[in-house]
Amino acid sequence: MRGHMTHPDTDVLADYLAGLVTGRRAAMITAHLADCARCAAMADELAGVSALLAAVPAPAMPDRVAQRLDAVLAAEVAHRNESERARGVSPQERPARHRRTGRGGFRWMSPRVLAPAGAVVALVAVGGYVLSSHGSSPQLQGAASAAGPATSAQPAASAQPAYGKAAAPNATAGSLHGTSPLMSPAELPVVVSPVDFLAGSLTQQLESDLRVPLTARTTRVATTTIQACVQRVAGRALVLRIESAHYEGQPVTVVVTRASQGEEVQLAGPGCSATSSHLLATRTVPAGILEP
Amino acid sequence: MGEVGEQWPSDAELLRRHVAGDSEAFGELFRRHRDRLWAVALRTVCDPEEAADALQDAMVSAFRRAADFRGESAVTTWLHRIVVNASLDRLRRRAARPAVPADEQTFEALAAQDSDPVHATDTRLDVDAALRTLPPQQRAALVVVDMLGFSVADAAVILDVSAGTVKSRCARARAKLLPRVAHLRGNRSPGESVSPAQGGDP
Repeated sequence: MRGHMTHPDTDVLADYLAGLVTGRRAAMITAHLADCARCAAMADELAGVSALLAAVPAPAMPDRVAQRLDAVLAAEVAHRNESERARGVSPQERPARHRRTGRGGFRWMSPRVLAPAGAVVALVAVGGYVLSSHGSSPQLQGAASAAGPATSAQPAASAQPAYGKAAAPNATAGSLHGTSPLMSPAELPVVVSPVDFLAGSLTQQLESDLRVPLTARTTRVATTTIQACVQRVAGRALVLRIESAHYEGQPVTVVVTRASQGEEVQLAGPGCSATSSHLLATRTVPAGILEP
Repeated sequence: MGEVGEQWPSDAELLRRHVAGDSEAFGELFRRHRDRLWAVALRTVCDPEEAADALQDAMVSAFRRAADFRGESAVTTWLHRIVVNASLDRLRRRAARPAVPADEQTFEALAAQDSDPVHATDTRLDVDAALRTLPPQQRAALVVVDMLGFSVADAAVILDVSAGTVKSRCARARAKLLPRVAHLRGNRSPGESVSPAQGGDP
């Protein structure tokens, strides 16, 4: 090659300007730019892209987003404070933390979940919530129906079960483990969970909740709103379970999907629709945790 | 916007207080930077709903993982890193989802609360439309470096790639944007440099 070169294309010029071209090749481009008005102009234009971008004013955060983030942050703070207080309040309960084996160990529940409880071993009221020892999942059965009408404003947990417990457990179980032909989200029943999930203990609560067998839960058919929401939230991921529950007192749709490691659990708020997921929280739980 | 510069308590001090149990510190820190963090999320995911989700994920994650911050970078760099990660995460998830047209919505959000002169808004919309034609990784790099003004070294931390990769993603992105934004330069700075040749005619 001679000192001249063909006009470098835009990518090459951009690399050159970013300092990514070195040595002889860089020298050739430098020489070419000195000779070629067209390429020199192009180089200027490229440099101008950065200047243009830097000059574009940034959009301010919309108020509704700011308010939502403030609310989420307040919940996080409240939870941190609460769990710290809890740790201080009942030191004798702390060893229970290490007994987290088998069926999820202890968990946090709202009082209404525990209302019909017979099997509860120890109750320690902390900040309005109740810490129960483990082994109490059967009581959820009774609580499921009791919890229903609490919030009739939401489309999710309040409706009377259309199918009751009729959702064929076997078919559902197959899809839960991804072994049978995929059920579309539309066919999956919505499991009504009585749990009011809390930000500070969400992971433990989910691990407990998802271990409750479907036979111990009420299910019903997904409304079109929930179907649209699930589709929005899950995308093409395999949907393992849909639940109606509460999170920080708000009705949520819980969508469990198969992720690369473990199962992904997403909690979508009442605003969830085909166009907006209104996600309130996301967690990953161990694979295979779902009870059929 | 841009409340950068010296403030007291410093970002690092606020984060330290948060880890020590101060209930107000994280909120103050986050509010201090939230417009920039919003900008990076919105421009990376190109959808206000997804951006809000991403920013929320990021905020919660930063809140909980604050104790992991070791001070190897500035607190803002760390925050931006978490937001960019959450944003790219959202995009990956959206890629696995049937597209829902959100353009109108996006443009509204982008133009929201806008007291700019009309042509500045047009410029912004054109730039945003051009940005969304880029692959996400390139877009994120360009947003962080050219729009937010981070150094290549800081951008490398934020994007978790080498400085060379940052440079090359930015270079590719600028080359792709050139034909789409060349006409806007006249708007911005009439007196400056070259004629708006669109990548060709001598």
